[in-house]
Amino acid sequence: MEKEENIIEFRHVTKTYKLYKNDKQRLMAVFNKRIKYIPKKAVNDLSFEIKRGEAVAFLGKNGAGKSTILKIVTGVTYPTEGEVIVRGRVSALLELTAGFDKEMTGRENIYLKGQIMGIRDEEIHKLEETIVDFADIGDYMDQPVRSYSSGMKARLGFAININTHPEILIIDEALSVGDKAFRRKCVSKVNEIMDSEDVTLLFVTHSTEMAREFCHRGIVLKNGRQIYDSDIDSALDLYETAINVKKKPDTKDA
Amino acid sequence: MLKKNEKDIMELKNLVKDHVEWRHQIFKLAKSDLIKTYSGAALGWAWAIIKPSVTIFVYWFAFSIGLRHRGDIYGFPFFLWLIAGMVPWFYIQEMLTQGTTCMRRYKHLITKMKFPVSTIPTFVGMSKFVIHLLLFAIVIVIYFLFGEPFTLYYLQLPIYMLLMFLFCVGWTLFGSVLAAISQDFANLVKSFTTALFWLSGIMWPVNKITNHVGRMLLKMNPITFTCEGYRNCLIHKVWIWQEPKELAVYLIEIVIMWALALWAFKKLKKDMPDVL
Repeated sequence: MEKEENIIEFRHVTKTYKLYKNDKQRLMAVFNKRIKYIPKKAVNDLSFEIKRGEAVAFLGKNGAGKSTILKIVTGVTYPTEGEVIVRGRVSALLELTAGFDKEMTGRENIYLKGQIMGIRDEEIHKLEETIVDFADIGDYMDQPVRSYSSGMKARLGFAININTHPEILIIDEALSVGDKAFRRKCVSKVNEIMDSEDVTLLFVTHSTEMAREFCHRGIVLKNGRQIYDSDIDSALDLYETAINVKKKPDTKDA
Repeated sequence: MLKKNEKDIMELKNLVKDHVEWRHQIFKLAKSDLIKTYSGAALGWAWAIIKPSVTIFVYWFAFSIGLRHRGDIYGFPFFLWLIAGMVPWFYIQEMLTQGTTCMRRYKHLITKMKFPVSTIPTFVGMSKFVIHLLLFAIVIVIYFLFGEPFTLYYLQLPIYMLLMFLFCVGWTLFGSVLAAISQDFANLVKSFTTALFWLSGIMWPVNKITNHVGRMLLKMNPITFTCEGYRNCLIHKVWIWQEPKELAVYLIEIVIMWALALWAFKKLKKDMPDVL
């Protein structure tokens, strides 16, 4: 029955960002409660459940609340209201191209990420080779990350995320900067660990083609609310028609 | 009121718990912070020594050669007296400038992964502390070269170092959280750093100041306590318990600093990832 366990539960989750007029107002607000701000609901009364082993795509326009949901799942940001339950280790990097220490080399970042995830040095040492092989960025592995192109960062980020045995794997749209061959490699690797390790996948993208490749369930969001939750094909249809997004192959989104 | 106190204690408990659970990572991150600071430049580690040496030389030149009114202080050459107080100041200065911006520099730990944010000031403080120890070792060598014998008073140095570390990390937690919320705060601290230098007992022997109020205020300053503490060991030959009033004031200041830090952290930790 373990298959039926909810690995992620959102119960009436709302996240409100406070928008201040400027930095000074924000500092003043620490000491003075009367300073005004514009409340902006990024996620609005959202409830859903994800079972272990599912592959879910979050679809929606920019600002629909996709990234905020992932941030809440990762534990990076806190919901303003509601309850969130996450039962499992989330992958090391929230965004594939970010979260690196830019002054350190790719290899040093592998160790750093591993250490932060609580993996012992000997184990990271074993993983290192796998990650280096998978990322396949050659001599750049020993160069500072600041010299990387966005494609290389995505490669390294994906290699770290997928090889550090997460229970919940997060993949964001940054993967679309990778080339076709690398993406194919990613898809087969994701399928492999989803079968063998029962990993749960959360996927955020604007590329419908990739969503179809990775996921079987789609949640469509609009202005922080969930407007549809079903199998991936009908979710994508709805996303393309109802929200009126014209289909573009491989939409890049920064 | 009681409930509020309980919450503050909870916050302290969480902070200690995070530090214990993540102790290995804290050491690793301190190490990488240290390497990162100096590995980018060609001269690398030499900068850790060159920068403070230049500063000390400038002050020594200005006071000994330029203003020419400094002879020996408490029977010690001005240079020796100066470095005993300057070296702790360099640490405090690093924590005021680098420490305050640490949340911004390490924002990938805050916004891109789950990480106990309260440990960031700690590992930054540890990384700077290694440089402090290095500089201090050089000070000791210089004292030997000047023919100053080792005394038992040196043994209390770790106490002063620990107290300084505690105070500075408390400050950094407080300052860096506010600086994360607002760049204005970081700029404010930056512009007050030089003022703090001259308003502390680093360049003047506190006990020789004749203005009563001025001396009182100067002695209340935690930076003065630290620098005088180092001089107590190296120059004045005074034990820490022989100045109980100063010690008590300093300890109270550490407690206040940490209370402020916990207050700011509790209030703003949920806002930080949204702002950075």
